[in-house]
Amino acid sequence: MSEALHFAEHRLQETALLIMAGVYAVRLIWLMRFKAGKERQAPTGLPGTTKGKGIIYSWANIFMPWSMESARKHVLMWFQFGIFHMGVTAAIALSVIIPYAPEVLEITLITTIFQVVIVAAFIVGIMRIIRRISIPVLRAISSPDDYFSLILLTVWFFFAAFSVPNRWQEGETFLLTYFWLTAFFLIYVPFSKISHYLYYPFTRYYLGKTMGYRGVFPLRGTRRG
Amino acid sequence: MTNKKRSHQAEVLIEGMAEKLNRQIVGSLVACVHCGNCTRSCHYVLTNPDDPTFAPAYKADRIRKIFKRHFDWTGRVFPWWVGAKSIFTVEELEELKDIVFGKCTNCRRCSINCPMGVDYATFNRMMRGLLVSVGIMPEGVAVVSKDQWEIGNQMGVLPEDYIDTIEWMSEEMQSELDDPTAVIPIDKMDADIVYTINPREVKYDPRTISDAGKIFHLAGENWTMPSEGWDMTNFGLFSGDDALGGAVAGRVYEKAKELRAKKIVISECGHGYRSTRCEGPNWAGMDVEIPMESSVITMLRYVREGRIKVDKTRNTKSYTFHDSCNNARSCGLFEEPRELLNLVVTDFREMYPNRSENYCCTGGGGAMSMSEYTPLRLKSAKIKADQLIETGAEVVVTSCHNCVDGLTDLIKHYNLGMEVTQLVNMESEVNKGSGFNVSIPRRSIALSSNDFK
Repeated sequence: MSEALHFAEHRLQETALLIMAGVYAVRLIWLMRFKAGKERQAPTGLPGTTKGKGIIYSWANIFMPWSMESARKHVLMWFQFGIFHMGVTAAIALSVIIPYAPEVLEITLITTIFQVVIVAAFIVGIMRIIRRISIPVLRAISSPDDYFSLILLTVWFFFAAFSVPNRWQEGETFLLTYFWLTAFFLIYVPFSKISHYLYYPFTRYYLGKTMGYRGVFPLRGTRRG
Repeated sequence: MTNKKRSHQAEVLIEGMAEKLNRQIVGSLVACVHCGNCTRSCHYVLTNPDDPTFAPAYKADRIRKIFKRHFDWTGRVFPWWVGAKSIFTVEELEELKDIVFGKCTNCRRCSINCPMGVDYATFNRMMRGLLVSVGIMPEGVAVVSKDQWEIGNQMGVLPEDYIDTIEWMSEEMQSELDDPTAVIPIDKMDADIVYTINPREVKYDPRTISDAGKIFHLAGENWTMPSEGWDMTNFGLFSGDDALGGAVAGRVYEKAKELRAKKIVISECGHGYRSTRCEGPNWAGMDVEIPMESSVITMLRYVREGRIKVDKTRNTKSYTFHDSCNNARSCGLFEEPRELLNLVVTDFREMYPNRSENYCCTGGGGAMSMSEYTPLRLKSAKIKADQLIETGAEVVVTSCHNCVDGLTDLIKHYNLGMEVTQLVNMESEVNKGSGFNVSIPRRSIALSSNDFK
């Protein structure tokens, strides 16, 4: 392995990760500095609806496509969302497995699963780029960050898919590109919309807390009459 | 760096935003990923499919871009990259006014369909309040807010007119029930219930007051109405003015406390129930010890306890139920109205979707007082009209005065030929031996948005 690849796999990733963690910590401190609104009134809704249940329901909402009309009516979109995010998880995991547990990738089944998931995510990424460009309402709400974040991840998936076998002996180009993209991704993320996963627990927590307290969560199905 | 000069109002608005931001609002402002899931949940979008400016995410971004420019780091350093942009001129503030007041009823349907949990209605209301604070608001909002501040209710009903109406309805009750004890007590001390109402009932539909009075009397309730602090509606919810919201709600709580009432019962009104029951203590910064409930829950309890008896065979028309956004999506009141309605009618037909997913009547969020947006409101009401048509029902029942007006308007506009009524608007016929029987629901008075000019 060349020194450049070793640097990219280790020092570069560790530095990028530390920067990302530091920036995230600053971001969380900033968010927590804002006062949380308080609910003074007695709870409403049917007995058995509570803040706690509302919070758990809210956090789990995204895994229950039947619970939200937007997911229920567009199940294929929900599946795309799932595949895309599984791809992100797999590609991030890869950046840890390759330098610290490369023996895992000697198991054919594991590499196959990783490649299938990441390639599927890449295809979804392409579909999402097309969708964002072609649908007027999505164009209207998209900023340069929206396009760049999506393109960045899709390109990253491409190089991740080829990096899964970790055959640096046969050429280091894909691996080098993958690790440099990962480092860039880690540093860019806190400043972009990709950081939404940092806010997800908070926004869902507060919405769930309020809606649970008021008996709105869990959402009651529409129960067609 | 721009050299554009900012108007004083825009300056004050931005400073005000810094004061109003809380953790929930900031979370909603930073978490949007522009996925577009909210788009298909909004009645404005569904009826204006070719106009992307109705999308909740687009509307939210008109507020978000200001937040990003002034309070968010990427927006401060690379504004164009993340769509951050400040606000400068009065014209821009007026455009913002048309969006936050005219293109959204704060129904929260987008909020429950957002995978990230972005609650657009909350910061839409925040922006309404900021615009109101710099004097930029629809004329109807200004007029109604002024009445509620100065006279104590949002329809400018004078104290003597209110008392006269209550006394008149009291006399009507006595005559109808042929019972001299069937009165509407005013300012009775230590009552179990103090009943608070919508000024619309005083001004346009006083029979709803006597209808409720009959129910209380026949249930043997120890109740009263207050001489002041009787308006449970709250324009602070619509205008975004927390000070108004707190002041109005505070009047209700203080009067109930003065009368040593054991419970505050709120007549059928979506925003009134939400404002008094749920939001008022937060706006007023008060912990209200007196329990509060909707009159729907009160009536249902009377039936369950056998204190009043109902006869569903008296109501043989076909009925459907419209969930008021404020009752349902903000306060969890779905099942009690249905249970009560199913007890008094033989043919109940659910509309689809319903409960937390029901569509707005389009009259909410103060829309009925903003006549400049009426054409847009009525166009967006097509979704609701289609819902109603699909049920095939003759009557739509709701637990909200605003919804009564919104539904009446759209029924007239789309020639649906349906009646609109509320749960309490069931004409009672006394059976002196065994309580009262519910007969045919009386149509509520249609209200045109012209009444608010």
